[in-house]
Amino acid sequence: MKSISRREFVALTAAVPIAVPAILQSRAAPTAQEIVDRIKQKVGGQWKADGVDAFKAGDPMTPVKGIATSAMATLDVLKQAVKAGANFVITCEPTFYSRADTPAPAGARRGGTPAAPDAVFTAKNDFIKNNQIVVWRFSDNWRQHTPDPLSVGLAEALGWAKYRAADDPRRITIPIASLESVASDLKKKLNSRGGIRVVGDPGLNVVKIGLLPGTTPIQSALSMFPLVDAIIAGEVREWESVELARDKVSAGERKGLVLIGRVISENPGMDECAKWLKNVVPEVRTTWIPVEDPYWRPA
Amino acid sequence: MMRALTAGEVVSRIKSNLGFAWRDNTYRDTFKFGGPETEVRGIATAMFCNFDVVKRASEAGLNMIIPHEDTYWNDRDDISIVSSDPLYKTKVDFMKEHNIVIFRMHDHMHSQRPDFLYVGLARALGLDSKYETEPQSHRFVIPETTLGALASDFQKRLGAHAVRAIGDPKAKVRRVQVGVGYATPAVNSPDVDVVVSGELQETDGGFDSPEYVLDAVSVGITKGWIMLGHAISEEQGMLEMADWVKKFTPEVPVQLIRGGEPFWAPK
Repeated sequence: MKSISRREFVALTAAVPIAVPAILQSRAAPTAQEIVDRIKQKVGGQWKADGVDAFKAGDPMTPVKGIATSAMATLDVLKQAVKAGANFVITCEPTFYSRADTPAPAGARRGGTPAAPDAVFTAKNDFIKNNQIVVWRFSDNWRQHTPDPLSVGLAEALGWAKYRAADDPRRITIPIASLESVASDLKKKLNSRGGIRVVGDPGLNVVKIGLLPGTTPIQSALSMFPLVDAIIAGEVREWESVELARDKVSAGERKGLVLIGRVISENPGMDECAKWLKNVVPEVRTTWIPVEDPYWRPA
Repeated sequence: MMRALTAGEVVSRIKSNLGFAWRDNTYRDTFKFGGPETEVRGIATAMFCNFDVVKRASEAGLNMIIPHEDTYWNDRDDISIVSSDPLYKTKVDFMKEHNIVIFRMHDHMHSQRPDFLYVGLARALGLDSKYETEPQSHRFVIPETTLGALASDFQKRLGAHAVRAIGDPKAKVRRVQVGVGYATPAVNSPDVDVVVSGELQETDGGFDSPEYVLDAVSVGITKGWIMLGHAISEEQGMLEMADWVKKFTPEVPVQLIRGGEPFWAPK
């Protein structure tokens, strides 16, 4: 075994992130697989293995230099991850543009079959390969973590952590505000460009709010509406909860529905994931990378 | 004395005018309220059969409603999901009191040729048939414009306020694929620059065009995505539907009752 001089030791430790204790640097970097195994042990509850949580790209045996969490592993997010020194990306949503998440196109659903190879798929695969990135999806099991990290994160991002109901992280009681001012405030705090859409009277007084981040079916809106003045949701089906909200308003109920977009609504929940991982994988630096609001509004 | 027109008679005329055999296995195209015996004083076509539309149809003396979409906030109009909400009773009580009858036309409308939903949306968006690559392709090659200008033009023509777009607003585009409602085409077809449609789940589906467009922009490939909203994307074609129903129900007035865009966008 080669002993290192004090000078060499100082040079070595100076090269690693300051926040990481030097003692941990002497151990070999954990592989992506080892990190996933640790997550499985620590996340709580029965691990759901038949869902979407799996490796999507790269070699799970890769030693991990840094972790990036994100709501969606877009090419832009992957580039930012590399800049942040991360080679293991943990994403809530798919990487390859479908639930199947296969690294080559499966054929367009409508409007003909795309020519193979698809340049966008190819560019993403090449970027992942050239930068030796490993991508793992963490969605089903992260959503089952308690308390619901997507709601906790969203409330945190909106500055509402102190207003949260003790028994339900999805329910918030804020100082009275109009639906219009709540929506404008959301837009600023979530850096939303154009994705926010609202149903209801802009002048509606809002005190009680229900958070439904991600995508939710009609049953979620039906059970939340009686408890709150307004629901803030990521994405719903327009023939379900949007029409329900519209009918409630037509029937004279004082209700509002704010849709902020599915991915944007999951951003803060992946910030929570990064914070949680700092305890699960303390020897590796974890960085949260938010996805920009994909939408803009026409002039 | 002439026998009064019944809802059952209207439905049987719809079936005989379709030009193809009725499929009884549809769960969508059925009576959602009232039944075949209900006497019809007037007919309203509509996109979503929401409470506001029902009330305005009733005020206009149109007690038969032919909506394209659901009445009880789920595609199957499964009452067991929604009946515990007092709103269900409020809506049903109103319909009972005003002798409303509802017959949904969804699956069979999409099987008609032409499909009125596409005809109506193309008309409303100003996509002239001379630009369509071939009939029923729903693909239009238009004079070059930018994605930003195209999205603005569509939004203005529909009188909408909450249209959402993805892609580079300055990108030059020509090839536009039109979808309606949730029948939203994938954006990765190589002969398409822009998809304009109603609604689609943002991610985790059959093909996630929003993420694809974001990555295409990163790579420098022109792609655009314009989501009008489900309601206004399909409401346009219910005008063509009203005109069609009018042809074989001369005894009663027939008109489209617009529900409009459900959304507003914050400043």
